Amino acid sequence: MKKYIITLLTSGLLLTGCGEDFLEVVPETQLSSATFFKTQSDFEQAVNAAYVPLRTITNDRSWLLGEMHSDNTYYARNILFGATEQQEDIADFAVPEANGLTSNTHVLNQYRQDYLIISRTNQILALIDDVDFDAAAKANVKGQALFLRAYAYFELVRYFGSVPLHLTPVATREEAALPLATEEELFAQIISDLTAAVPLLPEKSQQELGRASAGAARMLLANVYINRKNWSEAESLLKAIVNSGEYGLIENYEDVFPGNAANKNNLESIFEVQFLEGAAGLNGSFIYNFMPRPISASELQPITGTSNPQNIDGEGNNIPTPDIIQAYEEGDLRKDVSIGYVELSGSFRDDKVYPYIKKHAKPHSLHGNHGTNWIIYRYAETLLFLAEALNEQGKTSEAAGYLNMVRNRADLDDTSASGQAELREAIFRERRVELAFENKRWFDIARTDRIQEIIVPYGQRIIANPLDYYYPPVAGAVPRSNAFTNLSKFYPLPAAESDLSPYF
Amino acid sequence: MKNHYLSRIKIPLVGFLLLLFTLSIQAQAQTRSISGVVVSEGDNEPIPGALVMIKGTQKGTVTDIDGSFTIEASVGEVLVVSFVGFTSQEVAVASGTNNIQVALPLSTSDLTEVVVVGYGSQLKREVTGAVQTVKSEELQDLPVSTIGQKLQGRLAGVQINQTTGKPGQGLTVRIRGQLSVTAGSDPLYVVDGFPITGNINTLNPDEIEDITVLKDAASTSLYGSRAANGVVLITTKRGKSGQTNVNLNVFTGWQKVPVRGRLEMMNAEEFAQFKKEYYEDAGQPVPDIFQNPSIYRGKNNDWYDAVLRTAPITSYNLTLTSNKDRLRTSVIAGVFDQKGVVVNTDYQRYSFRMNADYDVSDKVSVGVNLAPSYIYDNTPQTDGTRGTGILFNAIHTWPVMPIYDEAGELTYFNRFPSYTGNIFAYPNWVRSANELVNETDQVNLLTTSYVQYQPIKGLTLKSSFSTEIRDSKFFSFNPSTATSRINVSIPTVAQSVRDNISSLSWLNENLATYTRSFNDHNFEMLVGYTNQTYRMERTRIQADTYADDRLPTIQGAININRGGTFSDVGEWSLSSVLSRLTYNYKGKYLFTASLRADGSSRFGLDNRWGVFPSTSVGWVMSDEGFLVDNPTVSFAKVRASYGVTGNNNIGNFTQYALVNNTINAVFGNNVASGAAVTSLANTRLGWETTASFDAGLDLGLWDDRIQFVYDFYQKRTTNLLYSVQVPQESGFTNFNDNIGEIKFWGHEFSINAIPVVGAFTWNSSVNLSINRNEVVSLAEGIDRVYGNFHITQVGQPFGQFYGLIKLGNYMNAEDLANSPQVPGRSTVGSIKLKDVNGDGIISIGGDNDDRAIIGNPFPKFTYGFVQNFKYKNWDMSITGQGSYGNQLYMRHLYSTANLDGVFNMVRKATDRFRSPQDPGEGIFGTTVGGGNVTGIERDWANSNFVWDASYLTIKNVTVGYTVNKTNKFMKSARIYGSVQNLITWTPYWGGSNPEVSMQNNGAGDGGNLSPGVDLFGYPIPVTVTFGANINF
Repeated sequence: MKKYIITLLTSGLLLTGCGEDFLEVVPETQLSSATFFKTQSDFEQAVNAAYVPLRTITNDRSWLLGEMHSDNTYYARNILFGATEQQEDIADFAVPEANGLTSNTHVLNQYRQDYLIISRTNQILALIDDVDFDAAAKANVKGQALFLRAYAYFELVRYFGSVPLHLTPVATREEAALPLATEEELFAQIISDLTAAVPLLPEKSQQELGRASAGAARMLLANVYINRKNWSEAESLLKAIVNSGEYGLIENYEDVFPGNAANKNNLESIFEVQFLEGAAGLNGSFIYNFMPRPISASELQPITGTSNPQNIDGEGNNIPTPDIIQAYEEGDLRKDVSIGYVELSGSFRDDKVYPYIKKHAKPHSLHGNHGTNWIIYRYAETLLFLAEALNEQGKTSEAAGYLNMVRNRADLDDTSASGQAELREAIFRERRVELAFENKRWFDIARTDRIQEIIVPYGQRIIANPLDYYYPPVAGAVPRSNAFTNLSKFYPLPAAESDLSPYF
Repeated sequence: MKNHYLSRIKIPLVGFLLLLFTLSIQAQAQTRSISGVVVSEGDNEPIPGALVMIKGTQKGTVTDIDGSFTIEASVGEVLVVSFVGFTSQEVAVASGTNNIQVALPLSTSDLTEVVVVGYGSQLKREVTGAVQTVKSEELQDLPVSTIGQKLQGRLAGVQINQTTGKPGQGLTVRIRGQLSVTAGSDPLYVVDGFPITGNINTLNPDEIEDITVLKDAASTSLYGSRAANGVVLITTKRGKSGQTNVNLNVFTGWQKVPVRGRLEMMNAEEFAQFKKEYYEDAGQPVPDIFQNPSIYRGKNNDWYDAVLRTAPITSYNLTLTSNKDRLRTSVIAGVFDQKGVVVNTDYQRYSFRMNADYDVSDKVSVGVNLAPSYIYDNTPQTDGTRGTGILFNAIHTWPVMPIYDEAGELTYFNRFPSYTGNIFAYPNWVRSANELVNETDQVNLLTTSYVQYQPIKGLTLKSSFSTEIRDSKFFSFNPSTATSRINVSIPTVAQSVRDNISSLSWLNENLATYTRSFNDHNFEMLVGYTNQTYRMERTRIQADTYADDRLPTIQGAININRGGTFSDVGEWSLSSVLSRLTYNYKGKYLFTASLRADGSSRFGLDNRWGVFPSTSVGWVMSDEGFLVDNPTVSFAKVRASYGVTGNNNIGNFTQYALVNNTINAVFGNNVASGAAVTSLANTRLGWETTASFDAGLDLGLWDDRIQFVYDFYQKRTTNLLYSVQVPQESGFTNFNDNIGEIKFWGHEFSINAIPVVGAFTWNSSVNLSINRNEVVSLAEGIDRVYGNFHITQVGQPFGQFYGLIKLGNYMNAEDLANSPQVPGRSTVGSIKLKDVNGDGIISIGGDNDDRAIIGNPFPKFTYGFVQNFKYKNWDMSITGQGSYGNQLYMRHLYSTANLDGVFNMVRKATDRFRSPQDPGEGIFGTTVGGGNVTGIERDWANSNFVWDASYLTIKNVTVGYTVNKTNKFMKSARIYGSVQNLITWTPYWGGSNPEVSMQNNGAGDGGNLSPGVDLFGYPIPVTVTFGANINF
């Protein structure tokens, strides 16, 4: 008997084992860093993930920081809703600032999303050279990573001027914060990354549609040089794009803008952020972000064409201002393509008709979920940049030719501008209407140092005539007292990040 | 490093095996047959049914009708003779012993009771830790579904809050105020020695024999890295007395939410009046439907009442216990059926337990426990924040919106024209509650089997294997005709979620206990080695857009929602060695020391093993000469303990840097899978450590007619698991680290007294607890953590309410002009806040923050009582629980007091500020100016949300009558009536449940850092039941 008992007891012990293996339990449903970054596929997946923050940036933030923070769009005040200050502060040039910092959440989120791209590309760039795989595939992944990192830093340097420069992946808590780099240092890194990226990347026709191509890298670098007023470098890059034969103008302006599923990455497209309709979370919803509100399901349906329209409450944002509406010349075909009108029965205004951004509002099937891409760079801008680069170098007539290509497509006559200064103004105006609601306006105003000249009178117009800027005729519904009090060229750095960093 | 630790582990293991072999060879037994009689001291009447056990074994017998017994025992063993109501006696078996008489003295004391402690049991008088036991008899009449509800009001130092009235859910148990920043704070539940991983509420309370709560580290530290939150030991019923007993316990009754205590909202007429005044005050035309509020008189639509109902509750329990032919068995079968007081909520439990112990021989016994249960519950989205929970939505739906149409049918949908200020569409909540499905089916199985062997006198070897198998199937379906959300048009998109979770935990435990007494020195030594693992597998599928509501199967859906569809595996393993030495001299000087080492898969590779020691001492002063004959003091013991315990509720894989490979990109119209590192690794990650000191006094006065227990404790929890925020320029949000320190201290008092004894007996038990905490440090460079309306700050208690301080409203233009304002927003009649930083303007957050601590969610003290009365065959008991000095953050006011007239409002808002001549009672400000003005009051955390939530609840009143007539069919019967949650007294006006806390129901900005938030949860009903308890 005893023997059996002892056998039982001891087998009980042996059965359950002991030691290292028993205590080693690794996550089964997630990969861990120790096992990743070993194969070509790993790096391809990693670079794919580096594109992902662009969806959030373009869907939720760029239009706030780049378009509504200008004289092109404003919000349509809905007094029934509070907690709208974050957007209003941006549109009203009233971003709260203390000691160079702001609590504005849109500024914060833009900053964080850009660093998400940076950290993901840093992981790739730090490890890719140590892993052996197909040279062409490796060059392509590396080129894309360099392009995306440069793109993120170019956004940051334009929004903030000076930010931390992370070039290697963060592995410990101590490495998480770095000192601020100067604008010069940031631009030097951006130029170096893009210069390296151009030869690594295939041309658009050789690249998977939607990924960064050599043309996209040249266009981004040209934009950087234009910001730096390095006109000749910009000219040669832009000419390379024109001469590549990869791009052209689409005849009908309306067809330039991608649809819900069709017409993506078209002839005119150089780089666009890719969305996909559906329940997988890869979709956009920016069309809805740009709707005046409250809009009822029946008012919304003709615009979106969905089978299940829903009411949307809240406050409408990115509503075209009377200023942009007036900026189109007589007969400009782009005006009706870019701006539509909708009557809101729930509005408190006497005139319940509101303009809305129409050029992106392509029909799709389900409410709040569309696959329409967001264009970052397209060929028309290449031509306008080239016109600008040439004009700034005094090559006025050559410049006018490129400008007229864009004008003629809109059914407008050749420019009547003569001389460098007039042509400069004509190009600036043309950029406004051609690229309206493509988040170019604030950067154009800022890089040409025209904030005081343009924004100050714009603010005065709003404060003097709030009813023209979609305020309802209700007591208290007037521009806030802090409106147009912060006209800085750069956004203040986010306070929430400053709280965690010893460097700013 | 790893190997170093592992080699240490192997030594006790090998030693243990050697010990087993050696001892088995030595084992020799000189057993003899001893007979005797048990009588009561004084009158020498024989005691039938007294238990005679050999100490430290499962071996024993029961006296017959003449009080006689016969037992096989060997020399040196000790017989323990016990019977209810008498003080147990011990008789050592000497070589000459063969016929003995044992006289048991009558006992008013329970100090001779044996209490269950970790990995064993102890005489209550010799316990040196802080433990408290509750017997099943004290709990049997309470008509509730969970163990936690049964324990409310009974335990000093244990705060049990019923945070929601959902059947079968929502109890939080906090022992000695323990809490953590991010790790779990629930105590460890140990059922018959098995630390379970799942929800304790699945256990049928009728299966329980007794519950022992271990409070100080000396009692808990043998549970090592899981013990810091306290340990609740549950012992289930086993066959014990000599007879076969059959018991049937049945009750049935009704539950209803009393009108008293409900949150008072405006009725239709008051609401119409409010809206009329709103437009008049703003100088705007009054919409037609509000021009004459009196048309709504008597036509109120109480949406909250509409979703409530009177609901039945029924319970059946059949218990069979037997002790025959060396086989002790107990079988308990239970059915519990509770409909909820919110329509279409439902809870059913079918449970079964069989505990069997068999003495194979004098030295060997084996046992098996088997406890399957099946639970069904359905709760259609009742709780939740504004917009998501039916109850919250119902309470602030406009009372002018019709519940029924003219034909008497439930309406589908209410939306008034926007000129009335109605901006949200409301579905009919009664339909929603009835049509939404949110059901869970659970099958649970707890098993334990053991072999116990006594090779030599005093030594017991026990090896056991336990399993806990759980399978839960969750299914929710939102048909196209219903929604729990506001502003969703009907028909909506039909949605379903299926979430299947199955888990298996097994435990192997190998224990050796050696008991030895000589010359008044009594030793007990315990060593053990245990391994436990847990594995959970989960599959969740979320689908939407159904072609037909009648076919909610997955293939009936047009979309599978990728984000909500996933599978998951959770897993941990724990390897432990443990040991304890208990020593006493003459039962007077008591000493215990214990040590446990835990190796856990959850801890970082470089920090895999934790060691948890404890020690405690006690002195039974009443056995000393100077007290032994004291007429007043019948018992006195002082005790002190110190120990270290851990909290390993830090997540299974928190130490790893994980790669998320579902960060997918799109190119063209093609999906391309994407992957990125999403967290930082920490190979040093470990458990939270709590070091505790306890000092206590146990006092019995006047022959233990009054028993008094006092404990003081002090704890320091360090190495708190905390997700330290890192700047996101790194690409990461957090770094999981062990940081900071929280200090806890408190006092516990409990008094058990028998003020009246005789034909009328009154037994009174009262307890009071004071728990305090203070944050000593947080992470390096971080001295505070903010929530939306909380702050956890160094030098302050945890989770304090934080916001602006309300001074009143700006009473007139002069007041406004002379006071700090919110620029551009403050007006006459709007909320006037304190300019804490004195900069002349009011602001929230940022560098010009005016926030301050505005309240404390923790009580100054909590208390409970149980009063038992007995007169002849009648008995009555009253149980109560209360709390004093705590506050709640009445979070729902952001909607229920939205001054823009968007929702229905609390009745108190009728008396708001309307003009300098009509300033109201000061709680609510002006409606004029819209969201720009009123938004401050509701969107900015401020002291207007903080209200006193002290309370006293009579948890239960029971009256019973016992029929003692023994006949062919039954031995005895007791019938009783019981009322649960009879009444609550509280100044809190935000809802009927002052025990509510968002911290625990997971809604909104929850988490440990946000205690005491009221988001309007499921109400707690008054339950009236009648029952019968029959012994056959």
